[in-house]
Amino acid sequence: MDPKDEKRLERVFEEIATYEAIIQMLEENPTDLSHLHLPLARNVLRQHKRTVECIEKGEPLAASYFTNAPEIFTAMDIHWFHLIAQSFGGGMENPHMMEDLEGVDRLAVASDVCTLLRLGLYYLDAGVLPRPTMIIPLLEPCDGVIGLHEALRRHREWRDIPAFAPDPPYHGDKRSIGYYADELRRLVSFLEEQTGKRLDMDRLREVTEETNRQYALWAEYNELRRSVPCPHNHVLAMACFALVQTAGSGDPAHTLWYQALIEDGEKRVREANPETPNQKIRMLWYDVQPIWFNDLAPWMEQEWGVCVVLCMFSYAPYTMIDTSSEKALFEGLAKRNLIDPPMVRQARGVADNFLSDIERIVRDYKIDCVVVPGHMGHKDGSASISLMREKCRDIDVPFLYIGCDQFDRRYTTIDEIKDKLSQFFETMELG
Amino acid sequence: MESGIQSKAFETLSDAAGTLANPSVEEWKEGGGKVLGYFCSSMPEEIMTAAGLLPFRMRATGSTDTELSDAYLSSINCSFTRHCLNAALSGALDFLDGLIVPNSCDNVRRIYDHWIRLMRTPFVQMISLPRKAGDAQVTWFREELATLMARMEEHFGVDISEARLWEAIRLHNETRRLLRRLYDLRKAVAPPITGAETLAVTVAGTAMPKAAYNRLLSELLDDLAGHDGHTDYRARLMVMGGELDDPGYLEVIEGQGALVVTDSLCFGSRIFWKNVDEGVDDPLTALARFYVADRPSCPRVFGQYEQRAAFVREMIRDFHVDGVILERLAFCDLWGFEQFTIKNDFQDWGIPLMMLDREYALSATGQLRTRVQAFLETIGEGGNGPEG
Ligand code: SF4
Ligand code: SF4
Repeated sequence: MDPKDEKRLERVFEEIATYEAIIQMLEENPTDLSHLHLPLARNVLRQHKRTVECIEKGEPLAASYFTNAPEIFTAMDIHWFHLIAQSFGGGMENPHMMEDLEGVDRLAVASDVCTLLRLGLYYLDAGVLPRPTMIIPLLEPCDGVIGLHEALRRHREWRDIPAFAPDPPYHGDKRSIGYYADELRRLVSFLEEQTGKRLDMDRLREVTEETNRQYALWAEYNELRRSVPCPHNHVLAMACFALVQTAGSGDPAHTLWYQALIEDGEKRVREANPETPNQKIRMLWYDVQPIWFNDLAPWMEQEWGVCVVLCMFSYAPYTMIDTSSEKALFEGLAKRNLIDPPMVRQARGVADNFLSDIERIVRDYKIDCVVVPGHMGHKDGSASISLMREKCRDIDVPFLYIGCDQFDRRYTTIDEIKDKLSQFFETMELG
Repeated sequence: MESGIQSKAFETLSDAAGTLANPSVEEWKEGGGKVLGYFCSSMPEEIMTAAGLLPFRMRATGSTDTELSDAYLSSINCSFTRHCLNAALSGALDFLDGLIVPNSCDNVRRIYDHWIRLMRTPFVQMISLPRKAGDAQVTWFREELATLMARMEEHFGVDISEARLWEAIRLHNETRRLLRRLYDLRKAVAPPITGAETLAVTVAGTAMPKAAYNRLLSELLDDLAGHDGHTDYRARLMVMGGELDDPGYLEVIEGQGALVVTDSLCFGSRIFWKNVDEGVDDPLTALARFYVADRPSCPRVFGQYEQRAAFVREMIRDFHVDGVILERLAFCDLWGFEQFTIKNDFQDWGIPLMMLDREYALSATGQLRTRVQAFLETIGEGGNGPEG
């Protein structure tokens, strides 16, 4: 392998080693949840190995996102990696984070810009991002992503790589969905041009029918999370998102995983044996699970009996796609990638998108408190805080805004966050 | 840099830029006219003019604090939007009869959400502006404009005919031609107008009827024809960046001995460097193409960096620029990333660049002065100025 490529894959190789160790550990010391954790780890491993293989064999490789209709990539058999996932590889904090953040500080990008995105640019600048053969940038939900992708596209390392970004309209009406469906069609033409492959509509239908099954099972599983106590903690809730909407989308093996998850959840509800015992506070964590969540969530569980019933990514508002015609299929994919997905769903459009989600989730999931971590990158989110607070007041649920950096612990330390949360729980007499 | 313009027209323009409800706005309202506010330079003023409305580009000139808007926007929101909302809440923008908000940036689009809840402006519209500049985006934006126009017709009880649209396009293109003539004067070794004065002129154009503005511009051009130019500068600078409507900011820069001779600003050259194409059949398509694809873009438009860079280089060459200041409002993500690419390119091009983050309301001028002085020193003696 070209030494430059080897360096670019350094982090991928590290993650492969980490996941192999995790798998071995889970196989050797099974727990009652290993059958659910193992497929997740194996999926990450499989995707990473495929990335390496694409580079080794010079096969097409896309740098893309979960909102760029992953079903299309599966149907065309084009492998892709998540462009900015490296900072939270497979849901775990990257062990190089401190050194990476210092590198980010040296970049000529203002420090008030989302750290996740600055990390993305830093990885390319530092030569530790795999080199794709095509880039499918994201132009939603925030300004930062547009800025990042223009900077990546113009970076001297990547400026020769072809790019196509679907353009997200701001509205969510029928016309917008039609327009975005056409953008996805143009994406397909771009992929066909770049790879010489053709999209087989029957195959796309088959993949989408499989993801339909998975989304339906996920929704069914989320019904179980309405139970008091909630059967599982935040980890498996988040995993529901990871399996259906990332590389490998539409894999029938994932359908089996959702079925197993439901079985396990049902059993726990039936036997009143939740993964987290002594649940006293049912929380909606209304944002991504930050990279330092593994330090915070167990503390919340143990000290305060918190169960994070849902976060922004574990809520499943997806609609099933009608696969009966090509038009319906593309429109369904447009809706699924423009209107439904987490973060994009709320942050792309008007603030009411945040508010209606909060209201519905609080009501349906018997939520005791809404916590908005308030990531420093979310300019639209922070401009909506007063509206979220007002909504929570209206529906009579305690609301806390923290103010942090979901990707950099130095911004607000874990101890400060714990203090804020403790004060909040005490004042609101929760727990 | 001392202002030396002896011109009644300039005084009127400068007054209009220095206030919100300026005399032109007041006169317009007294005559029964309606004023339609809009955010961002990407909103076609021509449609408003064709509807018989006065287009007013949103700003918060004169605002010194954000006490009222702090309850709604946070400290990590850009200060431009915080001051604008504050100005609205304080009543300083009560003369508006309507407002158009595009999804131009994350901060601005949230203004819409608060405005519709807090203000009683009778007509508030959100418009979806594409993030790319292809044909499909032009078509999309044309439809957006058609919808907006229909709503304006209904709400304001006006008829925006094709003929009126063309008439407005011609009028606004005339504005653009006059402004380019003004900029042409700045290419000279001794430009007759400073950067701060020019910004006052361009800002004024977004707050008064175009016909009157064009008359004032013509007068100003006549007045400048006999004017002695500035020769007492150490370097010729270009200023680029996002929202900047305060000539006072450029005054501080020019106070250090620089002369700002051109810009790439959305209250500056980017709004008038090109004309709307008058040679096509459909005026709405012409407008959509102009605002989405033809005019110099800002980093909000993906895939257009090369075009933006070419525009900046052309400016640097034609205006004999010695150094460039990239100004950015803190918390603006669009310009935050653009800084990275621009910095690398300027290094490759060997052109001095200084990046400045700022707040909307002019503050920390001591620090600004120091930074500009240091920058002028790095530009050194090799500039294009008469003293260079
Ligand atoms: S974390 Fe927020 S600011 Fe950062 S990319 Fe995602 S939506 Fe944008
Ligand atoms: S910088 Fe761009 S998005 Fe911002 S106000 Fe100017 S034109 Fe609009």
